[in-house]
Amino acid sequence: MAEFKGVTGKIARVDLSSGTVSVVETPEEIYKKFLGGSALGVYYLFKEGVVEPSVHPFSPENMIQFMIGPMNGISPNARSVIVTKSGYNFICISTSGGRAAMELKFAGWDGIQVVGKAEKPVYLAVIDDNIEIRDASKIWGMDTQQAEVEMRKSVLSPLEYRESILRDADLTPEWAALRPVKRQGIGAKRLASSWVIGPGGENMVWYANVITEGARAHGRYGSGAIAGSKNLKGIVIRGTKGHRLADKAKVLELVREIQASESKDSFWRSYGTAGIGASSANIEDSFPIRNWQWNAWADPANVKALEGPFMDTASFVKQTACPGCALHCMYLAEVTSEDELMDGTITDMPDWEAMGMVGGNLGYLELPGAMPDDSFTGDHWDLVEFQAKCQHTAFLHDYYGMDYIEGGSLLGLLMELRQRDLITVGDLDGIDLQWGDIHAVDAIMKKIAHREGIGDVLANGTWETAKYFAEKKGKPEIMNYPVTTHRYSQPAHDTRGFDKDALEYVTVARPTAHTGGGGAGFKQADYAAAIAGQNAKSAVDSLVYCNFAAGHWAGKTAELVKAATGWTDFAEEDLGKVGARQYALCRLFDIHTQQLTDPKTEWDMLVPHRWFNDPLPTGPAKGQVAYDGDPSKLFDEALPAYWKARGWTEDKGIPTAETLEELGIADIAEAIAAQHR
Amino acid sequence: MSEEKLHEMISELQERLRQGKIGRREFLRYASLLGLSLGAAEALASCAPQPTPEPTPTVGAAPQEPTATPAPGEPTPPPAVVEAKAGHMLRFNPAVCTGCLMCAVACAEKWATEYFPEETKDVVNLEFSRIRPMRSQYIDVVNVCTYCTLIAWAEGSDKAPCQQVCPEDAIIVVPEGEGKEGFTGMGYMAIDRDKCQGIDLCGRCLEVCEDQFGSGISFDPIEGKSQICTMCGGLPACVDACPEPTALQFVPLMTNGRYFANPPEAYFELMYAKIFGKRRDL
Repeated sequence: MAEFKGVTGKIARVDLSSGTVSVVETPEEIYKKFLGGSALGVYYLFKEGVVEPSVHPFSPENMIQFMIGPMNGISPNARSVIVTKSGYNFICISTSGGRAAMELKFAGWDGIQVVGKAEKPVYLAVIDDNIEIRDASKIWGMDTQQAEVEMRKSVLSPLEYRESILRDADLTPEWAALRPVKRQGIGAKRLASSWVIGPGGENMVWYANVITEGARAHGRYGSGAIAGSKNLKGIVIRGTKGHRLADKAKVLELVREIQASESKDSFWRSYGTAGIGASSANIEDSFPIRNWQWNAWADPANVKALEGPFMDTASFVKQTACPGCALHCMYLAEVTSEDELMDGTITDMPDWEAMGMVGGNLGYLELPGAMPDDSFTGDHWDLVEFQAKCQHTAFLHDYYGMDYIEGGSLLGLLMELRQRDLITVGDLDGIDLQWGDIHAVDAIMKKIAHREGIGDVLANGTWETAKYFAEKKGKPEIMNYPVTTHRYSQPAHDTRGFDKDALEYVTVARPTAHTGGGGAGFKQADYAAAIAGQNAKSAVDSLVYCNFAAGHWAGKTAELVKAATGWTDFAEEDLGKVGARQYALCRLFDIHTQQLTDPKTEWDMLVPHRWFNDPLPTGPAKGQVAYDGDPSKLFDEALPAYWKARGWTEDKGIPTAETLEELGIADIAEAIAAQHR
Repeated sequence: MSEEKLHEMISELQERLRQGKIGRREFLRYASLLGLSLGAAEALASCAPQPTPEPTPTVGAAPQEPTATPAPGEPTPPPAVVEAKAGHMLRFNPAVCTGCLMCAVACAEKWATEYFPEETKDVVNLEFSRIRPMRSQYIDVVNVCTYCTLIAWAEGSDKAPCQQVCPEDAIIVVPEGEGKEGFTGMGYMAIDRDKCQGIDLCGRCLEVCEDQFGSGISFDPIEGKSQICTMCGGLPACVDACPEPTALQFVPLMTNGRYFANPPEAYFELMYAKIFGKRRDL
C-alpha cells in the first residue's frame, strides 16, 4: 500500500451480519477526486450499489458510513460526517463536531462503513487497528448521554489489563500502612470518544440522529435510524497513532494562523449562534413563529429571551470547543424555571436552529393568551421561562437522539392543525398539543421516541404525518401546512423574508439544508456564484471541517490540503471540482433510488405551500411571498437556468454525459444517469 | 549588622553564585537586601570566580546539544534572561477551559521533537503530551502532574510518590539553577530515560499515581517510557498555546501539589458538582 499522508488510506468495512471486519483500501486518485468525508462517502454509495432502488434504507444491504477527511486529526474545527441512504429514501450527509473525528484519524482510519445487521444490539470499539464488535445489551435503551459514559468506560487503559506490580515493599513502611484501598483510581484517565444513538435511533424514528459529547449531533436525515436498523448502538474510539502529514511544519504554521485569526473572532467567541435570533432572523423576517405563520414579532422584546447576553445571565454555564478551535461556539446551560419538569436540566445553549425550530416555532416565545402581533407585557422571569421551554425541548431531542429541526417542524405542524381544528385531541392519543405547552411536547416526544400509539405515525416525520392525517380525516388542505421541501423539514431560515432564496432549498444536495452555501449568489440570481458556493461547502464537508470557521480557512484551504497530503499539484480549483462531483452524484442518487420519471414534479416541486400562498403578516417583509407567489418563476425559469449552469439537462436536471466525463465520474455515474435522461 | 557578618554572608552568596546554586539576578537581589548598593553588588558578582562548567544532568536520551534553531513552527525560543520561577505551578480553571486541546498539541510537539525528531518528523501525536485535557459530558478536566510530595513525618519520605516507588531512580528532581539549557533554572521533575524500564516492564509510577493521587504520568508511544510534566523548566509551552485567558496559568504556588491532585474521574464529578450544582457519576 502506498504511503499516505493526511489521510490514512484505510477504511474499515464492518459487516454486522457475519461479524467480520475488513479493510477497504482506497486508491490515491480516488482520494484526489473526492478528498474524503461526504464526497468519498457518496462515491462509495455508488460503488457499492447502495444507490440502487432495491436497497431499502432499513435493509441490511444499506451501508452507514462514518467518514472523516484529510484535515481531520491535527487541524482545527474538525467534524465527522455520516453518509448513508436516509430512512426517507434520499441521500443522508450529516456532519457533527466533537473529538471523535480526531480520535478516528489517530486510530488510523479514514472512515468506518457498516453493513449488515447484528442479531443482538452491539457497539463497535475501535482501538487503533483493532476493531471489536461488542455486546451492547446493557446500554441498549439508555439515553445518549448515559450510553456514552458507559461506552467510554469500557475502553480500558493498559494498567487495567494486568495485575498490580506495585508491592508494599516498593513503598516506605509508614506509607504502606497508611495507603488506602488499592487499585481504586486505576484507569480513570478516559481518553476515548464516541458516537451513539438514543432510544429514537433504536426505535428507528426516521429523523433519529447520532450524537456525540451529549449535545453534538449529526443532526439531519436520520442517520440514527439507519444505525438502529442495524442494531448498532454506537462506536467508541481511542487512537494513539497520531496524524501523519507530508509537511508537518507547514501544516502547524497554517493551523496556528487559523487559530490566531479565530481568537479575534468576537462573534463566535462571545455567544456563538445565540447572536442570530436578535441580530438577523427577526430583522430579516425569517424567525420561525408558530409553524411559520409569522416570521417576526411585532415587539422585538420577545426575541430577547434567546439573545446571547440575556441567556448568559440566565442560564449559560461554560463554553466548550471542538479540538483545535478557538471559536468555542457552544455554551453549556443549566435551565432555570419555576416548572419542575424543566428546572435544572443540563443541556447546550441551544444553538440557533433549535432557538428557531423548538423555540419560536412552537409558540414558546409569547405569554399565555398573547399573539405574535401583540406587545410584550411580561418581565425578566417570563423571558427566562420562554428560554427554559426552548432549552428543554432541545434537550429532549438530544436525550432521545432526534433531529430538532424535523422534530420542531413536526410539533409545529401538529399544533397548527390543532389551532385550525383539523385534528382533535383524540387523534393525538389524548395529548392536548397547544402552542407553548411544554408538558404536552414532553408527553408526545416520549411517544415518538418509543413509537407508542400515535407516536408510531409521527416518528415518520412531518410530511408523512401530514399525509396520514390528510387521508385519515379526508381533509386534503392539511397538506398546505407541513413546511417541508423534498419531504424534509425546512430549518430556521425562510424564503419569504430576506434570509434565503427559495431556489437554494430546492437545489441543495442535502435535502433542505440551510448550510449548503451559495446564498448570496441565489439572491442575486447569479447561478455561477451560487454553484461555486455550494461546491465550496461540499469540499468543507469532505475535508471535513466546520462551516463556522470557513472564513478563517479562506485562502489557506488548498495550501493546507497540499501540506497535509503532499499532493503538490493540488489547487484551490480542485476543491470546487470535488463539490461539483458530489452535487452530480447526490442528484443522481435521489432520482435513482426513488426511480423518479419526472424529477421536477415528483421531487423538485415538493415545496411548502406556504412559500407562495401565505404572505408574511408582520415585519420588514410584510406581505411578501417567495417568487412573487408565482411558482413557475422558480421552477420554469430559475431552476432550469441553475441546471444549465451546472451542466445538467434543463428539463430534468440530469448531469449530461459531457459533464460527468469532465468531472471524471462517468465510470460510476453514466450508466445510472443514462437511465434517467 | 556587623561588617564581619555582612562580609560572611556576601561571601557565602558569592560562593553559591560560583556553584551555580543561585543565579546572578538572585545574587543581586539578596545582596541588595543585605544593604549593598546595586553597583557594589554588581561589582561583587563579577568578582565571584566563574563557575566551573558542570555537566548538565542528562534528561533521558535528549541530544546533549540543544538544537540551535528551533524547528519551524516551534514556539519562539525563550529570552536569554528570565526571572527564576521557582515555586510556580500550572493551574487550570475548568470553568474557563474549553477543552480545545491546543495545550496538548504544543506539549506533544515540543517533546516529540526533543526525543524522537526522526520518528516524528511527519506525525503529530498527542500521546507525547504530558498534559491531557479530558472530556466527559460537558466537563473538561486538564490532566497533568501537580507535583505531589509525600509527607515526611507521616509517610516516611518527602519525595514525590512516583519517585519513591521507581525501582531505577529514573524520576529525578532537578534542583533550582541546574538542568537543561534553555530552562530558566527552577527546580523541576524529569525522567531519566536511560534508566526508565518503561510501561511493559514496570509502570509503578503510573500505578501509584492513578491509584492514590492523580494521573500525571503517561508513556511515549515509541519506547513506552514514562513521561512527566517538567513545566518546561519554567516556560510552559502549554500555557503559551492556551487561547483562553486564565484557563491555564503558570502561577506562584509554594505548596504540596498533592493538595490539588485528584484522579480524573473524581475530578469530573467534583467539577460537575461545582459547575452545575449536582452530583453525577461520570
